Amino acid sequence: MSNNRIWIVIPVFNEANVILKVIQEIKKAGYQNIIVVDDGSSDDSFHKLKKTNVVLLRHKINRGKGAAVKTGIEAIKILGADIAITVDGDGQHNPNDIKNMLEKINQNYDVVLGTRLTNPQGMPWYKIIANYIGNFFTWIIYGLWVTDSQSGFRAYSKNALKKIDTQTDRYEYDSEIIKEIYRNKLKYTEIPIEVRYTDHSMNKKQKQGFINGIKTILKMILSN
Amino acid sequence: MTIYQIVLIVISFSFLFFAFKGFIEKEKGYSFFIFLTSLIIWSPIFILSVFPNLAQIITKKLGMGENLNTLIFIGFIFVFLILFKLINKIQELEKNITELVRKDSLNNWKKKF
Repeated sequence: MSNNRIWIVIPVFNEANVILKVIQEIKKAGYQNIIVVDDGSSDDSFHKLKKTNVVLLRHKINRGKGAAVKTGIEAIKILGADIAITVDGDGQHNPNDIKNMLEKINQNYDVVLGTRLTNPQGMPWYKIIANYIGNFFTWIIYGLWVTDSQSGFRAYSKNALKKIDTQTDRYEYDSEIIKEIYRNKLKYTEIPIEVRYTDHSMNKKQKQGFINGIKTILKMILSN
Repeated sequence: MTIYQIVLIVISFSFLFFAFKGFIEKEKGYSFFIFLTSLIIWSPIFILSVFPNLAQIITKKLGMGENLNTLIFIGFIFVFLILFKLINKIQELEKNITELVRKDSLNNWKKKF
């Protein structure tokens, strides 16, 4: 499939320090269709992004990662996308993994989930534990066991884009996707991805910490 | 067994049954939260209706009068229901705000292209 119908969706919230590098890397990997949703950043992210040639949308107020990804997906549907790849805006995902995801989509999978836990090298121990807890609650609440329910690096086929309908706005979005896979009986697979934990991604204020983790679980229960 | 007990058993069992059925068969409106709420509210009523002596044993163990116990229990149910309604309303509002922000964002973008 030509790269014209493949869109990379990046939700961004206060990533001014790294976002241009993230876009540059994705383009270097061969993907020119990039849509960035600035989720009400209070830093310079939006102004920096305006100088690039990506498709840029902006939430006037912060609504969360899930809400931003959904806005991006709504926009690429209008643009006639066949495949969507969601990538975090903090540079932790390696764009070279996209080609492996596309291979699986071309093998007729609807959703490809990038998983950090088959090779958790460099991943802090508390993140590994938090992920297993997230996986457990995702399984209990949404009914499907996956090895990395919190990964934001995923690929979706046109069929998945049509069927998936999420309602949650924040980090619980990643788990809600698992529910949608189960609910719509979508064909999915998991592939190992490389994750680069940088000082920037580790020190972010809005990262998924312990308290946010508890909130996410509560929201998963309430929104289900 | 008194009529009062039988009525309570039938009501609580019906609620528990439909909550279980709805959750297992993933019917619309029967979420995990609804299932959990039903379980928390109706299982004690069901158990205490089948074994009324249990309430007396618990009351004695806790050292409370029977009337006070009932009052506290009813109070809990009311507080829980109000909380449930409030959480639902907040979630609905959050959802509407997100939808508004999204529509505004998409409209602004469409104007440009």
